[in-house]
Amino acid sequence: MAQLRKDPITSRWIIVNTENPKRPDEFQVEPHTQSTKVCPFCPGNEAMTPPEILVHGRRSGAKNTSSWLVRVVPNKFPALRIEESTEKAGIGIYEKVGGFGAHEVIIENPDHNKQLADLPLDHVELVFKAFRDRCLDLRKDPRFKYILIFKNYGSSAGASLEHPHSQLIGLPIVPSRVLGEIRGSTSYHEASDRCIYCDIISQERSEKKLTVFENDEFVSLCPFASRFPFENCILPKNHQSSFDAVEDRSLHALAQALKATLVKIKKVLKDPAFNFMIHTIPMYSKEFETYHWHVEIIPQLTRVAGFELGTGFYVNPTPPEMAAEALRCVTIPGL
Amino acid sequence: MPELRRDPVVGYWTIISTERSRRPVEFSAADIKEERPCPFCEGKEDETGGEVTAIREPGTLPNSPGWLVRAILSKLPILSLDQGSNRTGRGIYDLMEGVGTHELIIESPKHKHDLDELGVSEIEKVIQVYTHRLNALEKDPRFKYALLFKNHGLISGSASDVIRHTRSQLIATPITPKRVKEELQAAQSYFERRERCVFCDVLRREREEGSRIVAENDAFLAFCPFASRSPFEVWILPKKHCADFGKLAPEYFPAFAFVLKECLLRIKTLLNDPPFNFIFHTAPFRHKKKAVYWKTIEEDYHWYLQISPRLTHDAGFEWGTGIHINPTPPEDAAHLLKETEIPKESF
Repeated sequence: MAQLRKDPITSRWIIVNTENPKRPDEFQVEPHTQSTKVCPFCPGNEAMTPPEILVHGRRSGAKNTSSWLVRVVPNKFPALRIEESTEKAGIGIYEKVGGFGAHEVIIENPDHNKQLADLPLDHVELVFKAFRDRCLDLRKDPRFKYILIFKNYGSSAGASLEHPHSQLIGLPIVPSRVLGEIRGSTSYHEASDRCIYCDIISQERSEKKLTVFENDEFVSLCPFASRFPFENCILPKNHQSSFDAVEDRSLHALAQALKATLVKIKKVLKDPAFNFMIHTIPMYSKEFETYHWHVEIIPQLTRVAGFELGTGFYVNPTPPEMAAEALRCVTIPGL
Repeated sequence: MPELRRDPVVGYWTIISTERSRRPVEFSAADIKEERPCPFCEGKEDETGGEVTAIREPGTLPNSPGWLVRAILSKLPILSLDQGSNRTGRGIYDLMEGVGTHELIIESPKHKHDLDELGVSEIEKVIQVYTHRLNALEKDPRFKYALLFKNHGLISGSASDVIRHTRSQLIATPITPKRVKEELQAAQSYFERRERCVFCDVLRREREEGSRIVAENDAFLAFCPFASRSPFEVWILPKKHCADFGKLAPEYFPAFAFVLKECLLRIKTLLNDPPFNFIFHTAPFRHKKKAVYWKTIEEDYHWYLQISPRLTHDAGFEWGTGIHINPTPPEDAAHLLKETEIPKESF
């Protein structure tokens, strides 16, 4: 039997298989491969990347040398470039914009084989500090309308290099998926004067069906209308619209919530490929009261096929309550 | 030089990234092994879900051999008919029972892998069954939309489930899906401003420019759209304005079969049989009682077939923004597809 669920923010319906749900051990996970090529992100190979933009944890030595903990560099093969124009042009009914933008790589740690989930908390905190500091810096350039921070882990999640890294893309436009969330949360706010994300958190506080992990400041949960099995969302418990407003004192709790969630996913699903994205309010947006930033994590366990592409209507084989329970039950010593 | 392009219909943006440009040879074909006996071949009718309709030799019975194209119920339906359509709430959350139907259209009685291996007259019969099933489902008031699509060469689930017998799928849904609604609303708003169909304008523009055309005949134009989300994406549009694929007149079946076969063959030959999806974009079901919403739909919407080779993986950027990064400019894709030599004897 299938159940249709509506996402309260975007109004997107999904189909959940509640009759014959797929359990964690029934997913096939692609093995991770080891490349034999020289890794441009490993210490000692700093000359293989464009010059660094930001470094955390360099104790000694000059720029672009090998003593660092987190290192941010421009992407060598950027999707968008800072040198390009933001000029708009129309050709008949078609519109285009020059390929202006920023595309950076955040190398999370020097160790080629240590994933984000394996790092000590202090180090995860440094990675998030680098994310935030890059956002704050790019914010100064008025040409940027949106900044997305994301991570692709594993080849089926689109990663082309193994060395643990995340990416940042700064855009001259506000992307449609972000606009969809803004529209949905604004219309909810107009009707109720409340933030829909805050309401999701408060309903979850009494139901406790979807929670995976929580600490004083953050909650990690499987959304009610998850498109994908084991999809996860990490939200600040106190209303905050912009990721780059996270203060230093909150970075530790954020790092803990993310690490806990990633460790649980890794354990329950046997180290699957995944993507994570930080959803934040666009620059110059005035919807501070209605929008609430969050991290979205999508393990890559199923492939999107024609039905999902054609309708935007996703079929999720694992009810989010079941996914949350499986993840919640994993205990992590020291977290 | 990278470039952002906006789709004139829905308004999504695509990054055409020449920096990371990939030529067709750089895509590698998936290695698919067939490990299960095929239940869709003629003679195995009792192994499939029940027959819904079929084009048959005179005198043969349903669920027996003697068919040319056969529509059956899926044995693993995403949505099924034996459900209600009750809606309920749980605090801020909304739920609905999953009523719908899920059919498979088996396109040949022989064990052919691909639609393009069939002759044009055989593909005409496939189109006949497509339109027939869409029109039949429209009569059921529980359904608002039906998506007709094909997944080709996409491995999902375990390899032991792979069956390569050529088929398409048809899923009827109790709601009009969001993506469909967005496209309908966008076409409607374009029509309100200009009193023209946006797709007819796209057709005009594509024929003027010519650089993105892949194939053309009297009744259809196939081209790589200006803001293609995936490399080598192809759209086939009827030249004569029509909102509903189900209403395609039989006199157009040969021309559509021909252009469809040609496009699939060009993609297969150039890109070494890549996995792909094709998706029919067509008007939702118009039940009389809800006439208000669809006032101008006959004029403002235009059906088309979208063919999307699956050569890149969606990653964090696409998920986070809805913006796709396309490494092959559509003009290059169209040129390469058009120049590809396809075997003449196939037609």
